[in-house]
Formats: sequence, C-alpha cells, structure tokens
Amino acid sequence: MVDGVRNRLVTLTVIGLALLAAGALVVMALNVIVGSSSISLADVMKVIAGSMDSDDTKAIIVMQIRIPRALAAAIGGAALAVAGLLLQTYFNNPIVEPYVLGISSGASLFVGLFFLGGFTFGFAQISPMMLFVGAFVGAMAVMAIVLVAARKVKSVITLLIVGLMVGYLCSAATSILTAFADKERLQIFSMWTMGSFAGITWSQIAVLAAVICPMIGFAFLLAKPLNALAMGDKYAASMGINVKHVRYLLILIASVLTAAVTAFAGPVSFIGLAVPHICRVVFRTYNNRVLIPATAMGGALMAGICDFAARNVIAPTELPLAAVTSVIGAPIVVYLLTRKEVR
Amino acid sequence: MNTLCESADVIRTENLDVGYDCKAVIRNVNIEALRGQTICLIGPNGAGKTTILRTLAGSLAPVGGSVYISRANIKNIKPSEQAKYMAIVLTEKLHMDLTSVYEVVSMGRVPFTNFFGRLSSDDHRIVAESMQAVGAAGLSERQFNSLSDGERQKVMIARALAQEPKLIILDEPTNHLDIRHKIEVIRILNRLSAERQMTVILALHDVDIAVRSCQNVLMVKNGQIVAQGRPEDIVQTETIGNLYEIDGASYDSVLGSFELCYQNQPEVFIAAGAGSGVPFFRSLSRLGCGIATGILHQNDVDYNIASAMKLTVVSERSFQPITVEKVAAAKAAIAKTRFAVDSGFPVGDYNRVNIEVLRGYASSGGRVYSMRSKDEIARLYPDVAVATISSISDLHALLPEAQADARGRGR
Repeated sequence: MVDGVRNRLVTLTVIGLALLAAGALVVMALNVIVGSSSISLADVMKVIAGSMDSDDTKAIIVMQIRIPRALAAAIGGAALAVAGLLLQTYFNNPIVEPYVLGISSGASLFVGLFFLGGFTFGFAQISPMMLFVGAFVGAMAVMAIVLVAARKVKSVITLLIVGLMVGYLCSAATSILTAFADKERLQIFSMWTMGSFAGITWSQIAVLAAVICPMIGFAFLLAKPLNALAMGDKYAASMGINVKHVRYLLILIASVLTAAVTAFAGPVSFIGLAVPHICRVVFRTYNNRVLIPATAMGGALMAGICDFAARNVIAPTELPLAAVTSVIGAPIVVYLLTRKEVR
Repeated sequence: MNTLCESADVIRTENLDVGYDCKAVIRNVNIEALRGQTICLIGPNGAGKTTILRTLAGSLAPVGGSVYISRANIKNIKPSEQAKYMAIVLTEKLHMDLTSVYEVVSMGRVPFTNFFGRLSSDDHRIVAESMQAVGAAGLSERQFNSLSDGERQKVMIARALAQEPKLIILDEPTNHLDIRHKIEVIRILNRLSAERQMTVILALHDVDIAVRSCQNVLMVKNGQIVAQGRPEDIVQTETIGNLYEIDGASYDSVLGSFELCYQNQPEVFIAAGAGSGVPFFRSLSRLGCGIATGILHQNDVDYNIASAMKLTVVSERSFQPITVEKVAAAKAAIAKTRFAVDSGFPVGDYNRVNIEVLRGYASSGGRVYSMRSKDEIARLYPDVAVATISSISDLHALLPEAQADARGRGR
C-alpha cells in the first residue's frame, strides 16, 4: 500500500521533469522565432535543415544570432541553477548563490583584467578558453577567501556578509580598472557586466557546453552524498561519506559552473537562487537525485524566459538581463526570507 | 574484505585520552563492551561525555591510547566499513525541510546502497522493520519537521537501526523528552540490546533512568572517570551527590530517586509508616512547614524518604521492637511541635507504640489530626479527642488556622 503511494510519487516526479524539459525546449524555440524580426517556425526549420540559402538574412539571424543565444541561455541558466543548488547544500542555507557569495564578482574582476587591463600574457587575442580560465581563477579565489572565513566563523549570516564584502571589493577593483581602460574596450566590458547572452559565438558555445554539461553530470553523480550531507556532517560521516572530499568537489563544481557562465554572459544574478527553491516547492522534495535534473532544466527554462523578456519587452531596445532576473528574483528572495517554513 | 568480523568484543578502549587539539579533556578511559551490553555515561553537563562518545564513534581522533572496534583499531577501519558496524544518534535537533520520515529513516541505508543511492526491495524491508522496531511505523509518510521531540527521537533511532549496526552510540537520547517518551526510548534501547544483541553506549542526564536500565555505568566528572561498574556497585547516595555537586536535594540509592531536602524547624509531627507518611512529608515541606516523624523502622519506605528529605526522624533498627529510649525520643520530638498527624499507618505489634505516643500528646492538650475512619479512631483513641481529616487537602485547609493558632500559642 505504501509502495503504491511511492510509485505514484515517482511517476509524478518523472512527469514533472518531462514537463520542465518540454517547457525549456518550447522557450528555446520561441527565443529563436520571436524577435525584432519575426521568423516563422517553418523558416527556422528550413534554416536548420539547410534548405535555405545560408546568405539569406533570415538564415544569418537564425544561425548566427538566435540559436547560439538561445542555447547559451539554456546552458548558462542550467549551470547557474545547479551551482546555486550545490552552494545552498554546501552552506545548508537557502539564500546562497554564486552571485550572493561574490563568486560572480570575482570572476568578473579577472575577466576585467583580461579585457581592460590587457593582461593577455603574451597572447595576441583572447580566446574563449582563456576567458573561461580567467573567470575560473577569479571564482576560485573568492571561494577560497569565503571558505577560509567559514573556518573561523560559524554563523552563516556572517559568512554571507563576508561573501558580499569580497564581492564589493572585487567590483571596486573592477571599477578602478574601468577608469584606466580605453573607451572602445570599456563599452564592450560594461555591456558584459550587465549580463547578457547576446553576441555569443559558436566557438564560445562549444567551450560553454564542453565545460558545463560534464559538470552537471558530475553533480548528479554526487546526489547520494549530497542527500546525506543534508543531515549534517556528523551523520553523513557516520554513514561512511567522505565529507571533506564531497565538500571540495561541491566547491569545485559550483565554481567551474559559475566561471563558465560569467566568462561569456557576465555576472547573472538570482537564477542560482530562485530556481532551486522553486524546484523544491514544485517537486516537494529535498532529494538531490530529483533536484539536480530539475534545477538544470528549470534553470534553462527560467534563463530562457528572462532572456525572452529582455529581448522583447521594449523591443527593439534590449533590457539588461540582470535587470530582468532581479525583477523576477528579488521578490522571491524576500518571500523566502519572510516565510516561516515550507510546509 | 570485511575487516570487522563477528567478534563478541564489540568495543574496547586502551588508556584512551580524549580531547580537542591534542589537549586531553579526559584521561585514561578504559571501557569494554561485549555484544548486547549497555554502557551509560553519566555526569554533569560539560564533564566531557560527548567528547568521549565522539572519540568512540571515530569522529574525533584520540589524544592518546586507542579505540578498538571488533578488535580492529578504529584508525585502520575504513569509514564505509565502520558505517556498517556502528550508528550514531546525536543530540542536536535536525531540521529537514520537505523530507518524509520514511526518507529520513532510509538515509540509514546509505552505506549499503549503490552509487546512486537507489533502495532495493531489501533496503525497503529493512527500513520498514527499523521503523517497526521503535514503534514509528505509523509515522512513515509524515513530514519529519512536523514531528514532536519524542517522535523525532524514535525516528532518529530507527534511522540508526536501518544501518543494521552491531553498536549504536547515542548522545543524550532522552534530552527534551517528556516522561512517557523518555521511558519509551529507554525501553526500545533495552529491547535492542536484549533481542538483537546490539551493544548500546549512551550518555544520559537522568541518573534515575540510568541506574535502572544500564548494566554498566561510567561516571564522568572534572575530566576524570570517577567510578565505573555496575550501578548497584558504584551508585551510592554520596557518589551521586558528589558527582553532580547537588545542593538542596539528595539521592536515595535504594529507591533510585532524588528528594528535595528541607531543614526547617519541626512544626508538625507525622506519625507514619509503610509509605503512608510520604504524601504528608512532601506536601507540608513544600509549604515550608518543618516536619518531625517517627517512630519509623529503618526498613520502612517512609524512613528512606524522610531521611533523604533530611527531616527529623526518630527511627528504630529494622525488624526490632521499638525500645523505650526511642519512645522517649519520639515524645520529646512531638512535644516541640504545634500539632501532630496520624497518617493512618497500618498498626501492628511492632509499631503500636506510635499510637501511644499520639495519645499521650493528645491527652496533654496537643492537637492530633487523623486520617482514620471514625470507628477506627474510637477504637484506637478511646479516651482522647482526635480530629478526622479525609485527605491532605483537609489538612492544608486546616493549616493556616492551625498555624495561626499554633503561633498564637507560641507567643
């Protein structure tokens, strides 16, 4: 009898995941079709099938602008949401995400160093991979500072403040850099700091996908120890989980995911915070075996919706992505902080 | 390879020093527990009970000496192996949002499940059995956060059982529980050690529960093991008083309970016996009224309680006829009080003299209240005036009047 209930729950979960995946695909399709110049689904299919002249304006818009952008939003959103989920598990705190902890700001600073400071280390051009490595170094540096602080302070609130302050310091350093930068580069950079999936190239998509997809898979493999960690380190250790090991991996994966997105789309806030929460409430579970795939797809969906709004709300002018995610995300944070308990 | 064989020698320590950062908090812990045995750590808060338990569980490295689990040194045991042998129940309150009781208990299967943590039908069976063993089967689909403290603790024990351990270590498992759940938890643990031959090591606050339920007690105080052994051998009235540095209460090792001490000047004399005096001792003492009692045989439960409460007691050796000296002592004691109470004690050949003491007091003008029926009073006190009361409340109702009257006479 209990088995029946459990089987029904499993079925519901699978249906939920399938709906999320379908939703993410639909939003991706909409992002390709809808825009300042609407392109019909039939035309899009033709372009993808290769039966349209590749010099056609529609073909160029679809292949060079919209599909890469929709893909970037989907992959990036998934990465941020999973990174948020991992960090929330790590700190056992619901209001943690890469942006809050200053990881995004750290990544931004290092990207800024490349972009504005001209620290190209002898390379003539900045390759997508280098951009990612720079962002990763920045993300890890901030993470290291927060973790050192975490050893000294037990209060998660204090830790959050440390993260925020490190984030501000990184932002300040980035601002100082902008003061010395040349105009042309500065314009590109300031567009970048507002966060956008625009202008992403296929080669960047390749790096993004190559880094993010394995990392999300890796995170999924950690679902069992992550679930055990929810009971606290002592119980997890007593059940044979190598807590230290799992925690290092968590930080590594979350930093890589954040760095990859930040390198190409700039710092994007709130997706990492809101999506895991929405998924927990929708699926009514803390089980990471469900939550990791759910947040990945939910992140893709939410980033797709935000990007859609950014492009279309006051088209042809584009809204900064950070503005859209904040408008959607900030109320969710307030709600989460003020409500007593998920029941 | 399974390093932990089916040895009867479940856990043993050798000159173990426990502590933090290479500083020993407690030195020279030598314990040994065979299969099915229970060891209970008692002692005041901050004595280091938790530190010992954490070291035994392997989550804290010994500062000196060694811990052996099933004859293997704990530092050579892989955590994944240890998880199949030993489970823990911690004292801190767990917060698990959106997680059902069933999910919490099935966490205990973590050491056994595959890489993805999928539960096999065997795992499901063991989870269900574990919940049954603690009487929590009905809680299965409840949200863990909605449980009461008592239910929670049972679920946490069920989770530990799902690990199918030979050894279970619990830190203050009865903390914050009401009396019903305290007893339930202890009975569950006793049953596990008796029926499943599980070895149980636990820290307890409640001395009275500890001495009743554990074969071995370890008293921890000021960084030392002050005593260790069967509770019957080591738990004496003074040892407990010293262990907790209790002021204002004393422990009776025969009854295994505490009584609050009152040392007021006796105002009331209670003629008692066979437990009939205890309600009077307690209720009048609470009001701040000093009590003298007698003549009690030293094998009378009234004697145990009255001595533990530090009342003025006139007593006679066990099973001996009451001597003339004791009667004189009782008469002297009753003469100093404001009034006397006959608790309605059973009257027999060996204590009939108590009635004589009351009669003497009444005939010399003292007030006597008796719990006996009118007929009995007429029979026992044919020639003196004795008032009847039918309950303690009657006496309380009389008290202000009686006390005021007594005080008036005193002046």
